Amino acid sequence: MATLADSFLADLDELSDNEAVVIEEEDVDAGNMEEDVDGEMADIENLNYDDLDSVSKLQKTQRYVDIMQKVEDALQKGSDISNLGMVLEDDPEYQLIVDCNALSVDIENEIIIIHNFIRDKYRLKFPELESLVHHPIDYARVVKKIGNEMDLTLVDLEGLLPSAIIMVVSVTASTTSGKPLPEEILDKTIDACDRALTLDAAKKKVLDFVESRMGYIAPNLSTIVGSAVAAKLMGTAGGLAALAKMPACNVQLLGAKKKNLAGFSTATSQFRVGYIEQTEIFQSTPPSLRMRACRLLASKSTLAARVDSTRGDPSGNNGRALREEIRKKIEKWQEPPPAKQPKPLPVPDSEPKKKRGGRRLRKMKERYAITDMRKLANRMQFGVPEESSLGDGLGEGYGMLGQAGSGKLRVSVGQSKLAAKVAKKFKEKNYGSSGASSGLTSSLAFTLVQGIELSNPQAHAHQLGSGTQSTYFSETGTFSKIKRT
Amino acid sequence: MSYLMTTLTKKREVDTIIRDTIDKVLVLRFGRASDPVCLHLDDLLRKSSREVSKFATVALVDIDSEEIQVYVNYFDISFIPSTIFFFNAHHMKMDSGTADHTKWVGAFQKKQDFIDVVEAIYRGAMKGKLIVSCPLPSERIPKYQLLYKDV
Repeated sequence: MATLADSFLADLDELSDNEAVVIEEEDVDAGNMEEDVDGEMADIENLNYDDLDSVSKLQKTQRYVDIMQKVEDALQKGSDISNLGMVLEDDPEYQLIVDCNALSVDIENEIIIIHNFIRDKYRLKFPELESLVHHPIDYARVVKKIGNEMDLTLVDLEGLLPSAIIMVVSVTASTTSGKPLPEEILDKTIDACDRALTLDAAKKKVLDFVESRMGYIAPNLSTIVGSAVAAKLMGTAGGLAALAKMPACNVQLLGAKKKNLAGFSTATSQFRVGYIEQTEIFQSTPPSLRMRACRLLASKSTLAARVDSTRGDPSGNNGRALREEIRKKIEKWQEPPPAKQPKPLPVPDSEPKKKRGGRRLRKMKERYAITDMRKLANRMQFGVPEESSLGDGLGEGYGMLGQAGSGKLRVSVGQSKLAAKVAKKFKEKNYGSSGASSGLTSSLAFTLVQGIELSNPQAHAHQLGSGTQSTYFSETGTFSKIKRT
Repeated sequence: MSYLMTTLTKKREVDTIIRDTIDKVLVLRFGRASDPVCLHLDDLLRKSSREVSKFATVALVDIDSEEIQVYVNYFDISFIPSTIFFFNAHHMKMDSGTADHTKWVGAFQKKQDFIDVVEAIYRGAMKGKLIVSCPLPSERIPKYQLLYKDV
């Protein structure tokens, strides 16, 4: 027990030393440094929860301390617009910003780990609190405020939580099954809370710094979505160049939280929006248009990011123009539809009446019906290639017209009413004689060259038959063999 | 009701509109804006002007103007309001069972009556007739007594 207590005390000493280091901006001693891991989140196997340090290593890493120091310096120096001529990637400030972006992501992960730690320790005292207060930083603050107190009426949670939640917390605390914590565990928990709050403050500082520089780094992008969101987008993408290379659909989803826990319904989950959700343009559009606005924002911000990555427009005019465009489009969507004008009546007798039947209509349709010749030309015999007008498969095909074995020498043109009408008109025009023609004349003139073939049109009318007769299958043939089984 | 009807006060305007309305019935109402029957008719005309706009044009002629008196004398307008129909600069007559076929005297009872009358005029005109018979039943046709030389 003594050794354990000693090791705890030693831990506490180290912790206070480290915090002093961070606040006083001194370089960390080599002795206090533990493994110089990149500050990535601890493995899940490393559940040595007795020691906070083995779980949360970020604050001790060299990288963290360096970057924090540089950020402090830069914030104190104020804005610095000297190096416009340099290529963006060589600028040391740009490098710092890239590092800051990565660091802010790491800090977030670290805060989650610490939150888990605090939660596990505090479960003995107040298990229901974790389900009432979800946000890690709020949870840490509440835990710090409550401490080991059993009676929540003595604790003032104003300002930390919304009043509704304070009420619920107080009510739950009065019926909680938890017991007060032992002293060491309480100290560790409070320590962890402090650490979480420090990390949160550091993250805010880093983000502020990036925001302030965002207007210089990516002016067009920050005009459209705002510097905070622009900084986050850049951080998650891994740099301005990487952001510019992404297609707009990916930019839309940067930072989208995947909260689909297994077994929970996705019917209520909000549509997939990432950091774009935090822009003021998105927040100010009515909910019904949010999906379209999100897509529009993502596409225009991608364009702006591309302009920024090549330093095409340092003044930000492009960004302002795009923002104006977005605003106009959203306004246009919200316009009410144009008022309906009563339609004027149609001109009388302009549409001919549709006759749907009757003898007259039938006779009229006969003039345009498909003739027997056309029917034969449309059909083909199986296995017999058809002749065509230009020969060799080119031109119009003749089908069964004029095929050998069809029993006809010539196809007689059936009575075409249309042709008859046309011929009559034509005859009247050309041969409109004065009327002095004898009844014995005819328009046919017998010469030696022109023969006359009189064929009986009825004889071969069966060849076409009715539409129901099969032209492929034999009408008379039967099955060759029927077996009884 | 948002349509302002063209009101004509000069002879030249009347001439132009008669000449320039091609393949549409031209409805000219002769009257004055203060008369209540005129107002009733004007209201009807205004409401239906858009609906018949594809085959008719409606215009109001103010008979109190001096230039228009020529027309008042020519068409023999004595009752207010009087409506005269034209098609392609031909004066269309309509037999509605009254004494005067050259014009329509009075207002219409319903908007649909007016549309029916205009349609009848249009059909007749497209067929080439210069006088058509009125499609309305006689109860809906305003009656009046024609004075002849104060008799």
